[in-house]
Amino acid sequence: MKFSRGIRDAAIAFGIIIVFGSLAMLLAGVNPVDGFTALLIGAVGNVPETAETLVQTTSLLFPALGIALAFRAGLFNIGAEGQLLIGGLFAGVIGERLIAPGIIAIPLLLLAGAVGGGAWGALAGWLRARFAANEVIATLMLNYVAIQVAAYAITGPLKSAAGAGNETGELPASSWLPTILPDTRLSIALLLALALALLLRWMLRSTVIGYQLRAVGDAPRTAQRAGIDLAKMRFWTMAFSGAIAGFGGATIVLGVLHRFNLALSPGYGFIGIAVALVGELDPLWVTVAAFLFGMLQNGAIGMQAAANVPRDVVTAIEGLIILVLAGRRIITRSGAD
Amino acid sequence: MPALALRGIVKRFGDLVAVDGVDLDLESGAVVALIGENGAGKSTLANIAFGSIAADEGSIERNGVVGLVHQHFQLVERLSVWENVLLGREPRKGWRLDIAAARARVRELGERYGLHVDPDALVETLPVGLKQRVELLRELEREPAILLLDEPTAVLAPSEIESFFATVVALAKRGIAILVVTHKLAEVISYTSRVNVMRAGRIVARYETAQTNADELARVMVGGEIPRLAERTAMPRQVSPVVHISGLRARTESDEIAGLDLALGAGEILGVAGVEGNGQTALADALAGVCGYEGTIRFRDEDLPPTLGPRARILRGMQIVPQDRQREALVLDWDVTENAILGRERNPELRRGLQIDRAAARAFAQTIVDRFDVRPPQVDTLVRSLSGGNQQKIVVGRVLAGQPTFVLAYQPTRGIDVGAAALVQSRLIEARNAGTAILLISFELDEIFALADRVVVLYRGKIAGEFERDAFDRGRIGALMAGSS
Repeated sequence: MKFSRGIRDAAIAFGIIIVFGSLAMLLAGVNPVDGFTALLIGAVGNVPETAETLVQTTSLLFPALGIALAFRAGLFNIGAEGQLLIGGLFAGVIGERLIAPGIIAIPLLLLAGAVGGGAWGALAGWLRARFAANEVIATLMLNYVAIQVAAYAITGPLKSAAGAGNETGELPASSWLPTILPDTRLSIALLLALALALLLRWMLRSTVIGYQLRAVGDAPRTAQRAGIDLAKMRFWTMAFSGAIAGFGGATIVLGVLHRFNLALSPGYGFIGIAVALVGELDPLWVTVAAFLFGMLQNGAIGMQAAANVPRDVVTAIEGLIILVLAGRRIITRSGAD
Repeated sequence: MPALALRGIVKRFGDLVAVDGVDLDLESGAVVALIGENGAGKSTLANIAFGSIAADEGSIERNGVVGLVHQHFQLVERLSVWENVLLGREPRKGWRLDIAAARARVRELGERYGLHVDPDALVETLPVGLKQRVELLRELEREPAILLLDEPTAVLAPSEIESFFATVVALAKRGIAILVVTHKLAEVISYTSRVNVMRAGRIVARYETAQTNADELARVMVGGEIPRLAERTAMPRQVSPVVHISGLRARTESDEIAGLDLALGAGEILGVAGVEGNGQTALADALAGVCGYEGTIRFRDEDLPPTLGPRARILRGMQIVPQDRQREALVLDWDVTENAILGRERNPELRRGLQIDRAAARAFAQTIVDRFDVRPPQVDTLVRSLSGGNQQKIVVGRVLAGQPTFVLAYQPTRGIDVGAAALVQSRLIEARNAGTAILLISFELDEIFALADRVVVLYRGKIAGEFERDAFDRGRIGALMAGSS
């Protein structure tokens, strides 16, 4: 049942990419074969571009894993964008002030990101548990609140001398994530993301807590009568889901930008929804899906340069995939007990 | 010429042949029964006759309009009676509704068939008996030549059933051909003229009702002897009750209880008789700890506060067989093993640190599968692919594993085949013999009479009467279920 649905989601995503991508390229007066070739070369044509695709993969994978986890518990967390931003804010604001050796600063700042994102996710989880507030609405709205909170924080009370406009000052170099490929932005964040994917897969498949989480997602009334505390499980799942996204935000601050910036994410938290769904909510396949979307993200730049197709085509395609896959789930979801 | 003639009807759902070459004629003026176990294909056949399911093979000849009254009411609760009866066929005056004509039409129908209902009453305020009248009126409004009734008495009290069939027989006298789809043999014997017995998609026997009896029909329906239930051993009456409920008030979406008292001892099955909607769900949910309540539930020597959740109750030895096994007791997309350990996943014997001990879980599931004869006997079968009877065996097996002190069994054999039902009932009796206190909530009086040591009648959220096993009185209990004192 589940399996065929996942395959169908992947097929829908590919169909949209091919059909609408070709259509948009034709409208731009470009042969789709040339366009897609340019996209592919732009994504994995050489080592630096492949590294950059993996950077995008990493930035997508964290929020996508958080989303997949929440979704397995029946919680439609579409607030990963906000959770990621708050996580990045925590890491950036603390990071620019923290002078410590990397071995201490890096784990501390990543943890700060997780705490920030986790708190933001927990807020939606609390609203759900306490007031039965629909988490779709709550998480969506909190995205907007997150942007305003972050903007206020870095221009107001937490503004630093080095900060300017929409960003904080630069973090000390000792707090940057070590790169794993010279002369690229590819950092150990990729390895952390892959490790997290494996950990989540093990958690969902083999542990008691993962079993209970799936029960709450697959059959909430059954889970409740079997003695699983729905409110508690939903709260902690939202918190954990947000923490994963927030951790991802911190890796962008520490590994890519080396500062917090309001434009930290070009929508990783939203594209992550499509990544999670195409990946069948299974951390292993979510990882594969993140790579494919990473290719789209990075290949779009090459495509624009080489084939003169506006990169917004990719943004539009991604938006369409989210709309179709996520929209279908929200609509067909029933019995939100 | 028959009013309805089905010839060689075949219907497949994937690999399953639900209807396998059925011929059936309905004559004007006759009440004909179609009986069979759950899953025999009788509802599918009724829907094919009506036209809401297309047959894969065969021909259907309908001489006149066909009406179908569903087992579950198909009414818009928030609309009035006339709005429901005339939905989609409202009389109009220009572009406006002609409400006066609509009221008159519903009144006239009520007069003609003896089915009086206030046309302006809101459907949600009506008792079930009247809701069923509205269903009937809606079908009769289309002047059907053929009327199909799918399990029409499932939600009626015994006395309501009597008057319902009086109406049905009167409709037949007016020349309507009537097919009653049911599994209640007493109704078949009392009110129909011919019986068709379905098993595994085929009609395996046809009788003139006068020339058969309930025992014969039951045997043909099951395709063998009816399995015997486990013997009940004599139990000494306990002095102090295991569960003592007093002044209980609770409310769910579907019903409520309003000041209920009962006590239940070890080694006793207490049957709660009553028509659906009289507080059964509220009682069950309050005991399970999933809905708030006032009043007291005393378990052994402890008052259970309403805030005490299901987990704490399970740990104290209270177990529940929920009413809706697919939504409240199982995770359909999981396999037998994962379903079998539900509620015990934190127990040390099924756990290795943070992980579930797969081998131990499979072994535990296997004991349930073996003891309850689950088919197929593989523990990695997806529960969704099991029959209702086998699904229920897993639920009851899980509940009875480890000798619970108290079991609430809410419709434990609903919609399952006779063999599985007998097995479930036998296991419940054996648990009682071993000292478990069992509260059996059932809408089927036959089930309560077969299992219970004592019966209370639930009517409008209160206990309306109580009977010991040696003084069960079907007439009295039926009357109390309908609200007469």
